[in-house]
This record gives sequence, structure tokens and C-alpha cells, in this order.
Amino acid sequence: MNVTGAHATVRTYLKVALVLTGVTILEVGSIYIRQLTPIIVPLLLAMSAAKFALVVLFFMHLRYESRVLTLLFCGPLLLATGIVIALMTLTGAFLVFGR
Amino acid sequence: MRAALAALVQTLGGCAWDTPMTTVIPRSDFGRDILHLYAIVTWVAAGIALVVGAALVLALVRFRAKPGAPLPVQTRGHTLLEIGWTIAPALVLLVIAIPTLHVIFRTQAAPPAQALEVTVLGRQWWWEFRYPTLGITTANELHLPAGRPAALRLEGPDVIHSFWVPQLGGKRDVVPGRRNQLAFTPEIAGEYWGQCAEFCGVSHANMRMRVIVDAPEAFERWVAAQRVTPPEPSGRAAEGKAIFTSRACVGCHAIRGVSAGVLGPDLTTFGSRRTLAAGLVPNTPANVAAWVKDPGALKPGVKMPVLGLTDDQAKAVAAYLESLK
Amino acid sequence: MGAERSHRAPPASHSRSAPVSWVLATASWITTVDHKRIGILYGVTAFAFFLLGGLEALLIRLQLAAPDAHVVSAETYNALFTMHGTTMVFLAIMPLNAAFFNYMVPLLIGARDVAFPRLNALSYWIFLFGGLFLNASFLVGTPPDVGWFGYANLTSKQFSPSHSVDFWLLSLQLLGVSSMIAAINFIVTIVNMRPPGMRLMRMPVFVWMTLVVQFLIVLAFPPITVGLIFLMFDRFFGSHFYDVAAGGDLHLWQHLFWIFGHPEVYILILPAFGIVSEVLPTFARKPLFGAPVVVYSGVLIGFFGFGVWSHHMFAAGMGPVADAAFSIATMLIAIPTGVKIFNWLATLWGGSIRATTAFHFAVGLVGLFTIGGLSGIMHASPPVDLQQTDSYFVVAHLHYVLIGGSLFGLFAGAYYWWPKITGRLLGERLGKLQFWVLFAGFNTTFFPQHYLGAIGMPRRIYTYAGATGWTLWNTVSTVGAFGIAAGVLLFMVNAWRSLRAGAPAPADPWDGRTLEWRTSSPPPPHDFDTIPPVLGRDTFWREKYGPRGAPPAPSHDHIHLPAPSHWPVVVGLGMAVLAVGALTHLTIVLMGALVTIVGIFRLALEHHRTPAHEHQTGGLGLDHRKVALWVFLGSECFFFGTLIATYLAYRGRSVVGPEPHEILNIPLTTVSTFDLLMSSLLMVLALAAVERDDRRHARLWLFGTAFFGLIFLAFQAWEFTQFVREGLTLQQNLFGSTFFVLTGFHGAHVTVGVVWLLSLWLLDLRGRLRAADAVKVEVAGLYWHFVDVVWIAIFTLVYLIP
Repeated sequence: MNVTGAHATVRTYLKVALVLTGVTILEVGSIYIRQLTPIIVPLLLAMSAAKFALVVLFFMHLRYESRVLTLLFCGPLLLATGIVIALMTLTGAFLVFGR
Repeated sequence: MRAALAALVQTLGGCAWDTPMTTVIPRSDFGRDILHLYAIVTWVAAGIALVVGAALVLALVRFRAKPGAPLPVQTRGHTLLEIGWTIAPALVLLVIAIPTLHVIFRTQAAPPAQALEVTVLGRQWWWEFRYPTLGITTANELHLPAGRPAALRLEGPDVIHSFWVPQLGGKRDVVPGRRNQLAFTPEIAGEYWGQCAEFCGVSHANMRMRVIVDAPEAFERWVAAQRVTPPEPSGRAAEGKAIFTSRACVGCHAIRGVSAGVLGPDLTTFGSRRTLAAGLVPNTPANVAAWVKDPGALKPGVKMPVLGLTDDQAKAVAAYLESLK
Repeated sequence: MGAERSHRAPPASHSRSAPVSWVLATASWITTVDHKRIGILYGVTAFAFFLLGGLEALLIRLQLAAPDAHVVSAETYNALFTMHGTTMVFLAIMPLNAAFFNYMVPLLIGARDVAFPRLNALSYWIFLFGGLFLNASFLVGTPPDVGWFGYANLTSKQFSPSHSVDFWLLSLQLLGVSSMIAAINFIVTIVNMRPPGMRLMRMPVFVWMTLVVQFLIVLAFPPITVGLIFLMFDRFFGSHFYDVAAGGDLHLWQHLFWIFGHPEVYILILPAFGIVSEVLPTFARKPLFGAPVVVYSGVLIGFFGFGVWSHHMFAAGMGPVADAAFSIATMLIAIPTGVKIFNWLATLWGGSIRATTAFHFAVGLVGLFTIGGLSGIMHASPPVDLQQTDSYFVVAHLHYVLIGGSLFGLFAGAYYWWPKITGRLLGERLGKLQFWVLFAGFNTTFFPQHYLGAIGMPRRIYTYAGATGWTLWNTVSTVGAFGIAAGVLLFMVNAWRSLRAGAPAPADPWDGRTLEWRTSSPPPPHDFDTIPPVLGRDTFWREKYGPRGAPPAPSHDHIHLPAPSHWPVVVGLGMAVLAVGALTHLTIVLMGALVTIVGIFRLALEHHRTPAHEHQTGGLGLDHRKVALWVFLGSECFFFGTLIATYLAYRGRSVVGPEPHEILNIPLTTVSTFDLLMSSLLMVLALAAVERDDRRHARLWLFGTAFFGLIFLAFQAWEFTQFVREGLTLQQNLFGSTFFVLTGFHGAHVTVGVVWLLSLWLLDLRGRLRAADAVKVEVAGLYWHFVDVVWIAIFTLVYLIP
């Protein structure tokens, strides 16, 4: 059980599932829209980040949990992201996205 | 000031530092740049070590427990002190950091247009040197003209090696699939020793080299000698050549006008080299004969096979190779 | 010390015949889950490996004592330095640290054991079998000979055709698993099992350093796990991760190794820093100066330790910008390290110093680590490092920090805590002799190596020419090495004498400051008769000398000792058999896998109905298992992050086709993505059902989630077969290698999730999943959602981004 006592309801879960479905459709759709090509990479990253956050906050309940758990997960998540970006910079991978 | 510090470092050590692979008696601009920094970091380190060491010894002596003494004051901390000894090291590090950044960018700048291009191939366990603008190839002994910038491009067909000639500067890895560069100007003529500095297999310890920095005219003469097809040998050397051309030797080694092997070192002017087997032993007829007969005895794991030559045959081949000047 | 009650060691039992009591004693050690016994097991095993590593070092030094020597062959020498490094890092220092974590951390925080006692035992057994497996390579004549950091592509099948590298990579994977399980265990213990009053900032600094180290382990091991997976797949299955001809980048191995390797050196040293932070105050009779600052600096070192890894690659040709960035970062990290040294000095200043042997070693660390740290600062300047790296200068540096630092710290801990662990005192006179012999031997061996590096001696060379001028100081260094050996031998003599007839140790022989001194020497099986009150930092000192402050409300605990279990050793054995099978035959792999999986299930379900195991809630109101899983998910961020980074780094580098856009089926994958997202919905519905004891719906949604997972796997299986038919295999090109490994490991995670969920479903069918068990479903759900979330990232980065 969680510390705060607050809990997401089944309605919340269904709403989140709906949003996840919608964003996925938007994501897949957007790669076929030629006008979006210049901003497609940040757009896709933002949408998948939103889905990521929704699942973590609601399905994984982090929104209602003690701060300790948030720290235990988000710390490594941020550090890992930083290292991934550093690795890609060091190996010159970012140039690939320019193509 | 920095030059004075560097000089002091050198004089303190005296000739204890004057060894063939020394890193503190530079003979190139790159080497000198490094030494200035080396002196700074050494003095900083020595200074801090002295201060910390003295404080430690002082504390240990002064605060020994005296029999019957009461509990010491239970000091928990001192914020100002903490701030002080956080900022002080940071400032000291600046003294190292600023010249460091300077030297990094200066020594990794693109070489000037008039630089002599050399392609260095690090192979298990020898060095190939190609001079694309001069059209010559040699092995294990790199010749460079004094006073002219050299632009080394490091490539490797097998595993990672590292090109290191300490008196001419720092090392750079030879990474297969990448083109690493090393640029410097050798300043003083002489013979400098180098060695592979990245573990590359069984005979990593035996992957050595010599760098001969010549006065410009001497370098031109050396280049000219590389371009000449060796004359026909006579006597013992002719016997040796006959063995060389009739055996597997021609499959791996190149001698201008005689063979075109690419797997082993180019031997066109082998006779004029000072060492053999990648800087392992002096280039004498006896050593060459022993090497040709059983290379694995000198260099474990060497790719050059035993050809089953008799002592006599080996000596003949040695005579031939020594005639290649 | 005054007249204290002495605590006599209990008399040996003579009630059974000797052979039977031997068997029973061995069985009790094999099935133990007591953190104190596990600590002793770690300590003894690690010390044995330490001696082995030391022997390897002596052979190395004998070979180098003279130029062109023939003490050992080139091949043997290369194996010796590889095994020496690997053994000392993974089989000696890390587990010696673990011995102290195990024995002391629960005592130091006032707990009775760690959060997961059986997993604790499991970590030990995997470590033992991993170490034995590594050394078995000697027995079959193919010890690893590629250096302890095994640079690709020397480690490829082409350049290392024998099993030597396979032994190395498989045992490292085993050891990694062992460390990770233990790390999660300790994090949960420290976070969740502190008694009332033991706030984080009141914890002893050793516990804080332990906590930082566990986080470093949990986050640093995944990258090297991935790097080793790449190597394993290259060698066993023909992938191209480190294949230059196929477009692979050899720097990738170096990056992955050092992203692990640099935090690893802090993993090796921080515990020693923690020990010194306990020993110095005790024998100076003053608190640790600036204790909060020492804690913060440890945390900062741990965190920034992830940002400096490429300072091991200054000669690799990364370019001036990368060199400069990592140089600055490395210099910055020197600051918190220096702060610790100054705080230790200030602890001594104004104190009343009793120079016991433990104190000698702690002071030795302060001095010797300062030297090692300073040579490290020299390395931090890339141009200077270009002369020093890969030479004996860096060998000197690393031994000053690892021996002068870690080993001296461990000896300090040994002399300090030996009375607590064994109930006897180590001889002080012999101890001080040992210190000076070791100190002299160590400096004789390694100080001259700075000079040898400065006159150009490269590292990892089995011989050298006399004309280089390296002979004299190599000979001196070898003499010194025997001094180190003598020092180690003296410790063994001291230990032997102490165990046989040493003076009995009282509970508090040093007038200590922390809780371990509050219980008997050795402690009873349950550690404390009553959980001690925590009055502040250095709580035991406050009890004795004040200031007391308001004591916290006493905790009402019942003493429950975890029951012994034989499943940890079974699982460990299964994993060892798996590794052996990888080198021999598929049947053995399957056997090992079977034993491992059965063992894991039995381990998980062993105490299913014991009341104490139903409630594992800690001081923060969080269940142990939930905290453990969130920590694990943090490590999984690094695991998948590394896989994804490699995929992205290698994009567009394939030398032959097919290319992603030619073969990826976006519409189909969209459907499977949607399927996985919906499975997460079903999972939360399942949890909600279990929580309200609605067993029908719980079964429905649990099965539904697993079923949707199976659908996802079916899609993936179909996709994989299609790709193979269209010419994309693991071996085809770089894209094939990175794609199949990334999505394959994700699929493996899904599979584990499906099995997990079906197991819960089966438990429910048998009526063993009630509302009280909801946390088990919650934890499975967290895992499941995370696997979903990773797929969200993969779907976007692999399939959608053009």
C-alpha cells in the first residue's frame, strides 16, 4: 500500500489508457505528415515522454507515493538519460538525426 | 617562469632521467609543451603532499593521549573552515586547468600544410611507416627531418595499439576503424626509442621502434636510398637472395624490385636499420641469422613462420638482408 | 580501559560425535541466512582470493626483477596480470568490503538483519561460484590474458580464439549479478530498516558510504553487463558490436567499460573512507570533524563519478573537446575528495590520540591515499596523461589508491572490528609490526614505479631490455613486493594466534561511539536483545557521555530470526552450471537453467505463508519489496538506456543492408504497442481487484495481462521470423545486431513478466492471493508497467524516428 492513502480510481486509469491510445495514434500519424518533418524528432520525443510520464505517474502510482520512491527512480532515470546523451555525443551519433 | 620550473625538475634528477624512453627530456615542441605542464602539476602535487604530510605528522605528535587527560573538546565542525578548504583546492586546480586547456587545443590543432605526412600502421607486433607524398614504405624505424612538422596518421588493421615515442611527445592509440592523428615538430637530431603502449597480445612487450630524426640533408639522403632498387648481390648475399626468392619469404615481405609481399615489414633497406624485429635486438648478422632461423624464440607468437632453414642457409639470408642498404 | 566484564567465547559442544557435528556445522553454514555468518563467509573467501591474487603479483614481480628474464613465458605473464587485476578488484577488495557491509551495517543502524536475508546468502554463493569459475580457467589451461579491462577487439574470437575471454566475461556477469542483488538488499535495509530515531543524518558515516556504494553498484553494473553481452554475442553468435569491418566502433567497448569502471573505483574506495571515518574519531576521542560535509562529499563523489569516465581514454583520440570536458570534470571531483582528507586531519587535531593498530592503518590510508590522489590529479591533465597513461606511472597511481587506500582501510576495519566479530583481540604489538612491514614493503614496491613510468616503462610488458635503464628500480620494486607478502603473512599469524588463544574482547574494547559496541562480542544471533534507542549521531557515545537529548519512543519489536534455507546455494550452483554449459554443451546450459529457475521459484515461495514474511514494512511505511523493485527499475533505466544508446550510436553505420526503413513494419508494430499499453491497463485493474479481495476479477485481469503479454510476444516472434526471411539476422549487419539484441532483451523481459503474472494467477487459483498479498501484485505490476514504458521509448526511437 502507499503512504499517502490517496489512490487513483478505475476511472482515472481508463482515462489514462484513452490518452495513451490517442497519443500513440498521433505519434504514428505524424510521421506520415510531410509538413511536420522539420520538427518530427522533438515532436516524437515529446509525445513518447508524455506517454512515459503518464504510465509512471498513474499506472505505476508514483504520483501518489512517498517522495522516497520518486527519488529512487527519477534520480537514476535522469542520470541514465544524461549518460545516453553523452554517449551519443561522443560517438557522433547526433549527426545521424540531421539526415 | 614555467621554463625555469621545468629546468629545475630536470637538474634535480640529473642524469637519472636521461634514459632512452624518458618522458622528461623532450626533443619536440609537443614534448616541451607537455613538460611545462608536467612541471606545474608535479610542483602542485608535491606542495600539497608536503602540507598534508606535515599537518598529519604534527597532529599525530602533538595530540597523543596523555595519561589521565580528560576528554578533548568535542568539536563538531567549523563552517568557515569547510568553505575555505573547498575553495582553496578549486583555486589551485585552476592553476592546472587553464594551461591544460591551452595545451590540449594547441597540440591537437591541425598540422600545417608543409607537414610531412606519415601513415603509421600498428600491427601485431611491428610498425609499418608509409610516406604517401614520398612514395616510400619502411618498417620499425621511422625517419623524420629535424625542424619540419610531422603529421602522423595512425591506422591499424588488427587490434588497438598505441604509438609512443616519449622524447617526441605523448602517446596516441592506433584504433582500427578510426583515423587518429599525432602532430609535432621534432627539433633535435638523434635516435629516439618508442614502444607500443596498449596491450595488444602475446608480444606486446616486443613491439618497439626507433625514430631517427635527421638533419634535413641527411633525411633527403635517406629518402633517396629508399627509392633505389638494391643492386644485384654477389657471393654469400647472392646465395641468400636465392633462398629468399625461392621460399615463402616473398609472400610476406617486400623488397623493391624483388618481391611485393604486404603481410610483413618492408625490407628494402633492412641493412641500414639499427635494430631488427621491431626494436628488439641490434641489427647484426648473427642476430639476423638467428631470427630468420627461429623468429618465435625471440618474439613469442610472432606471425613469421619457421621455414626449416639450416644454419648455413640462415647465415646466407642474413648476408643478403644486411647487403640491402 | 578499566575493569570491564569480559565475554568468554562459548565452549565447544561435545554432545555429538565429531563427524556428525562436522556435517551439521557445514550444513548450517551452507544454509545460513544470518548476516553475520554471511559476512564471515565473504571475508574468508575473499581473503583466500586475495592471497591468490597476491601470488600472481609476486610472480609478475619476479619476472620483472631483471631484464629479459625467463621466470614465466609471455603467455603466462599476460594471464597473470589479467587474473591479478580481475581477482583483486572483483574477488578480493569488493567482497572484503561486502564482508564488512554484511556484518556491520545492521549492527550500526540498530537492525537485526538485512531486508532480504536469503537473497543475501544468494549473493554470496553466486560470488563464490563466479570466483571459482574464473579460476577454473587455469585448470583447463586457458586463463584470460587480455588485461582486466579486456579492450575490444583483442577480445574478439579472431584475436582471442580460445575460451580464455569466455571464462572472463561469463564470470564477470555472474559476479555482477551477485553484486547487484546485494546492492539492492543493502539499499532497502538502510532506507527501510532503521529504528526510530536513526534519521539518515544520524547514521554512522560508514553506513552512508555503504549506501552510496550500493547505488554506484546498482547503476554502474548495467552498462558493463550490456558491454559484456555485446562481447558475448560477438563471440558466441557472430554479431558485430565490436567488428570494425561491419561498421562497429571500438571506442564503444571502452566507453561502456569505463562508464562502469570509474564508478567502480569509487565502489572500491568509499567503504575504506567510511572505515577511516569511524576509526579516527574513536581513537582520537573526538567526533568526526564536519561529519555532514563528509557525508555530502561522499554523495557528490558518487554522483560526479558518473561524469568522468573518459579520463581513462585521453590517449584514445576522442578529440580536444571531449578531452577538455572530462579533464575539467575529473579535476572537480578532486575537490570533495580533498575535503574529506582535511576533515580527517581536523578530527585528529585537538584530539587525545590512542595509536592502536587500527588507528595506524587509518592514518596510513590518509597519507597514502593523498599521494595516490595527487598522482591522480596529475593524470587529470590530458597532455601530461599522454605521457603517464599506460605506463608504470598509472600503475603506481592505482596501487597507491587501491592498496594505500582500500587495503589499508580494510586492515583498519579488520583490527577495529575483529574483537566484535570473533570475541577476541588481535595482538597490538604484532599488529603494529605488521603495519610497518606492510607500509615499508608497499612504498618500496610502488613509489619507484612513478619514476619508472616517468622514464618511459609501459605497463603490461612481460619483459624489457636492460639498456632502457629500468632494471635497478624494478629489482627494488620486486624486493618491496616480498615485503608486502611478509606484511600479509604477519596478519595471518596475528589472526591465527588471536583465534586460538587471543585475549577475550569485551563488548566495547575501544570506548566506541556507535551501536555495534553496545552488544556483546560476538553479538548474539539476534544482534541486540532490545533495539537500542538512538539519541543522535554517535548515539552510543551520547549514551555514555551525553548530550542525551530526548530519547525516541521505544520500538516494540519481536525477535524473528529468518530460517535457514538451502535454496540460495542451489540457485548459485544452477547459475554456475549455466556458465559451464556455455563453454561446453547446450544440454548443460539447459540443466543449469532448469536448476536456477526451479531454485528461484522455491526461494520465492518458501515462506509464502509465514506471518513475518507477509509484513515487511519499514520505518517509512513502505514495503521492502516495493522499495527493492523501484531501485531495480532505476538500474533497468541504465540497462535499457545503454542498449538504446548503442542502437542510436550505431544507426546508419551498417556497411550492408537491409536498412531500418526497408524492413520495419510500422503499422503492425503500432498494433503490438497498443496491445502492450492496454495490458498495463489490465494490470492496474488486476491490482485494484486484489486490493478489494475481488478474486474473480483479480484472476480475470491477471490472466488478461499475461495474455496480452503473450500476444505482444507473438507479434514479436512473427516480426523476427519475417525479418530473418527478408535477410536481416543478428549476423547480417550492425542494424541486425543492435536491433535484435535491444528488442530481444526487451522481449525477454516481457517473457519474465508473463511468467511472473501467470505464477501469481496460479497462486490466486489456489486461494493464496488475498488482499494482504496485494503488495506482491503491486510489485509485479510495477515491473510490468516499466517494461511497457521501455517499449514506449523503443517504439519511438527505433521504429518511428526517421
